[in-house]
Amino acid sequence: MSQMTIHLKIWRQAGPDVKGAFENHTLDTVNEHMSFLEMLDVLNEELVVAGKEPFEFDYDCREGICGSCNLVINGRAHGPKRLTAACQLHMRNFKDGDSIVIEPARAAAFPVIKDLVVDRSAFDRIIAAGGYITVRTGSAPEANSIPVELEDSTFSFDYAACIGCGACVAACPNSSASLFTAAKLSHLNRLPQGEPEREKRVIAMVEQMEKEGFGDCSNFGECEAVCPKGISIASIAEMRRNYVKATIAG
Amino acid sequence: MPSLLKALSSQVGRKLLTGLTGVALIVFIVVHLVGNLTLFGPPDAFNTYAYKLHSLGPLLWIAEIGLVAVFAIHSYIGLSIWWNRRRARPQKYHVYSSKGAPSRQSLSSKTMAFTGVVMLIFIVFHVRAFKYGETTMTSIPGVDYPVKDLKALVITSFLDPVMAFAYTFVMMLLGAHLGHGIWSAMISLTLSNPQRSAAVYTAGTIIAVLLSVGFLFIPLYIYFTGGQGALIQY
Amino acid sequence: MKLDAKIPSGPLEEKWSKHLNDVKLVSPNNKRKMHVIVVGTGLAGASASASLAELGYKVSTFCIQDSGRRAHSIAAQGGINAAKNYQNDGDSVYRLFYDTIKGGDYRSREANVYRLAHLSNNIIDQAVSQGVPFAREYGGYLANRSFGGAQVSRTFYARGQTGQQLLMGAYQSMMKMVNEGKINYYTRHEMMDVVVIDGVARGIITRDLVTGELTRHSADAVILATGGYGNVFYLSTNAKNSNVTATWRAHKRGAAFANPSFVQVHPTCIPVSGDYQSKLTLMSESLRNDGRVWVPRKAGDDRPPNQIPEEERYYYLEERYPSFGNLVPRDVASRNAKQVTDEGLGVGETGLAVYLDFRDAIARDGKDVISAKYGNLFDMYENISGENPYEVPMRIYPAVHYTMGGLWVDYNLMTTVPGLFALGEANFSDHGANRLGASALMQGLADGYFVIPFTIGDYLADAGVSTIDTSHEAFASVEKEVQERIDKILNVKGDRTVIDFHRTLGRIVWDNIGITRNEKDLKKAITEIQALREEFWQNVKVPGKATNYNKYLEFAHRVADFFELAELMAYDALDRGESCGCHLREEFQTPEGEAIRNDKDYAYVSAWEFKDLNGKLETELHKETLEFEFVEMKQRSYK
Repeated sequence: MSQMTIHLKIWRQAGPDVKGAFENHTLDTVNEHMSFLEMLDVLNEELVVAGKEPFEFDYDCREGICGSCNLVINGRAHGPKRLTAACQLHMRNFKDGDSIVIEPARAAAFPVIKDLVVDRSAFDRIIAAGGYITVRTGSAPEANSIPVELEDSTFSFDYAACIGCGACVAACPNSSASLFTAAKLSHLNRLPQGEPEREKRVIAMVEQMEKEGFGDCSNFGECEAVCPKGISIASIAEMRRNYVKATIAG
Repeated sequence: MPSLLKALSSQVGRKLLTGLTGVALIVFIVVHLVGNLTLFGPPDAFNTYAYKLHSLGPLLWIAEIGLVAVFAIHSYIGLSIWWNRRRARPQKYHVYSSKGAPSRQSLSSKTMAFTGVVMLIFIVFHVRAFKYGETTMTSIPGVDYPVKDLKALVITSFLDPVMAFAYTFVMMLLGAHLGHGIWSAMISLTLSNPQRSAAVYTAGTIIAVLLSVGFLFIPLYIYFTGGQGALIQY
Repeated sequence: MKLDAKIPSGPLEEKWSKHLNDVKLVSPNNKRKMHVIVVGTGLAGASASASLAELGYKVSTFCIQDSGRRAHSIAAQGGINAAKNYQNDGDSVYRLFYDTIKGGDYRSREANVYRLAHLSNNIIDQAVSQGVPFAREYGGYLANRSFGGAQVSRTFYARGQTGQQLLMGAYQSMMKMVNEGKINYYTRHEMMDVVVIDGVARGIITRDLVTGELTRHSADAVILATGGYGNVFYLSTNAKNSNVTATWRAHKRGAAFANPSFVQVHPTCIPVSGDYQSKLTLMSESLRNDGRVWVPRKAGDDRPPNQIPEEERYYYLEERYPSFGNLVPRDVASRNAKQVTDEGLGVGETGLAVYLDFRDAIARDGKDVISAKYGNLFDMYENISGENPYEVPMRIYPAVHYTMGGLWVDYNLMTTVPGLFALGEANFSDHGANRLGASALMQGLADGYFVIPFTIGDYLADAGVSTIDTSHEAFASVEKEVQERIDKILNVKGDRTVIDFHRTLGRIVWDNIGITRNEKDLKKAITEIQALREEFWQNVKVPGKATNYNKYLEFAHRVADFFELAELMAYDALDRGESCGCHLREEFQTPEGEAIRNDKDYAYVSAWEFKDLNGKLETELHKETLEFEFVEMKQRSYK
């Protein structure tokens, strides 16, 4: 088992309104089997033992599905590996002696809480604005009374796979939340269940997205490249189509 | 439901307008290029084309006003997107890099604001030089009074190396702008899907290169042949 | 403490509908005045929040993550059972009920399990209407698969992300009510304690994890939907933030804790690679359909697996269980893996793994067929382990996955503290001594969508609108206790980190209250846990301060609760002098290693009442006898 030495440059920020700065650390006990977050755990343990403050970062499931982790590693959201959340990135993707810069997702709509932890509640508000299908508990009809074309169902699922990590915003040169918003719209709008609220939904979600202070979409497609679930920007085109239908052409 | 104005000024509406105005500008550019290429036609083709265009009178004014409006909208939204982007990320990344395909981040897409602004400045000079520039007069068949010899103006202008190379440079920037722009407009106008995405991107790039080369060929050809090349008939 | 399960009388099939007719209703006018607190936003918490808000109650919902959508229900892969019988293969509510109660090894309540099976169909209807993209057939109707050895295909699934999709459905419904102002939604807030006044739950104290601020919240009823306690083992498939704190605090305020030693271990997880390991990743059990499990026959055989000849390989499941072979149930597979590694036959650097080999399956069916079935799992394995399972056998090891135990609740999901309810994995109610695959999601949603909306009304109608608010002195005194505990932990300023303590505790629990248990080890574990807990309070080192975001402080007070819970688990395992479901006591097995269940003496739910904590946990056992009126208790055999 090979031990590696890794040089880390990590963002340290005490709170939302405080100026942050980078701090350098070297870890010489990095193991190729460690996940990226486990490597940070090891660093934090060393810091705690030395009486220093550990770095705060968000995580929960550590299996790539909860969407909590959202580190920007060497300038890339979730690091170098495609279709992989930072928690599933293993150190074998790095070399002995590598230098790694770790920053929080940077966006006005995602203010830093502490160190690498940011506030992504804007995403919650976008969903709350319209990212649902209204069906009171108990009022649902028999499940098989709503057949869904396999193609629509598959399409819908491809976008339902979004884990809400915010990598799309972190990586977008404009800090746009279009992919996140569009993914939810593509999930719900294509299904027959979602049809009645289609127009209302797209208008409400697009409005909320703007209100939160995210930037415009310039079709860079960087969001798709960093998305751990590979959500396609075709959903953004679909969101625009739906929006135009609901407003201008409707 | 939001009002039309509100819908058009939303992020989606603005992107739609950028795409629409972009497409209109591309159409204009294509027509412009076709007109320019009459330089390589029969001796009087270019001046005849210019004359006929001018003799449209009020129609031309309307077209010109429309063009200015389209250009203004396109530039305004473009600049506001650039402005929004600074506001949406007040603290920049210390290190930033693209994750590669399927990202469309390229020199072209990253410099849209810059190439756009250069184009904006260029157009002022361009219009002053060729629309309002001083020309000698000449005659063309079927017209019994003298008309502006724009062909001579173009050729004399591009014999100047500064003019020739500045134009060439700007036309390369135009190509860069269109490289991302054509593809982006297709996405903004919701005309692309993931299966076609790569093809649309390639087609967009090819069109951008063709337009750019078409435009920059003229100054370069004139400069390097001293205006005496076989392609230009007198 | 008196345990009254409040099971309605009458025939099994009619108990729930009869109960619905009998429960009292709250008038719309009163609902508006009643405040319900929901802690946790997993399937149970989110579905309860949405449903109660729709009914008109004022709801406050709390979660510790940055968004309700992160709750660990999201990680469930396999699917959700329902007795729709869409496959026309003879499934029915009764069969789902029967399989679940048998799977639980007859240690759950007939009435609860029947209700669960009955409600399973409503869940699918609700989820589909919310836009949950379940797998479908070409015709557009819902698809099913067989799961966990069931003889019928009753499992609904959404690729390998069923939990995520169901959670999104519930979360989105909840967020809609947040948007309408019907739910006060608190993220990054942790429940630190329950406020019980005159024996009735009246509210909670929360800590804002960003600012450290403590806040009092009063309510007419408090619902805990805070998940399971698998992280007492330190390493488990649970999310890092999953914890026992909310239910343990409730336990210390009077809620009985039931069957704490019933913990499910999943046999096919990716093994531990080193001390830095922070969690374990589960791989679908379906791998055992084609993979063969083996270890070298000779202890210490460190040749690469491909160089070990056939006759020197010990296919222990196939040899020991000729009829089921590699497909024995989860608990049997896990137990045997532990046995062979205990005998020194384990593989890999840690010796804590066994091989799961696809060599023969690839030779038989070809690589393409295997790849079509398991490609994504193989990729996941390769990403984590760095080894290609098409060429080298996978290494697997069991990991803690689900806790059947939890707060004791009656048929109405109310704990022994009036006004305090527990839903989902946080309660003990439906899975007995072992949970069947694809039924955790079912229970969480049944509790939240279809049980609590009715049963809470029955309680609230009697209780009336509460007049107690946070100015009551009990709130001040509980808040003070919480503050003192935080200060105490921060002020130890010792030498050992929280993670270090947690890892050590986890090792004790895993070794002694894990896959197999025996009296000697359980007693030893109790002493060790007590000593380690003592040391924790003398020597823990928690960095930072209490007034800002401080993950290690959060962990510290959760680990402190795990210490107390661990001790209770040992008492529970010690008390249960039989082997049932996931609970295998080495003293109670046949010479061949088959579990011996003792229905005469142990057909009861163990409900523990907290008494005191003075160096040792003082606790009193109450027994809820399980009556089996409708099914006959049978012994399992997989030989």
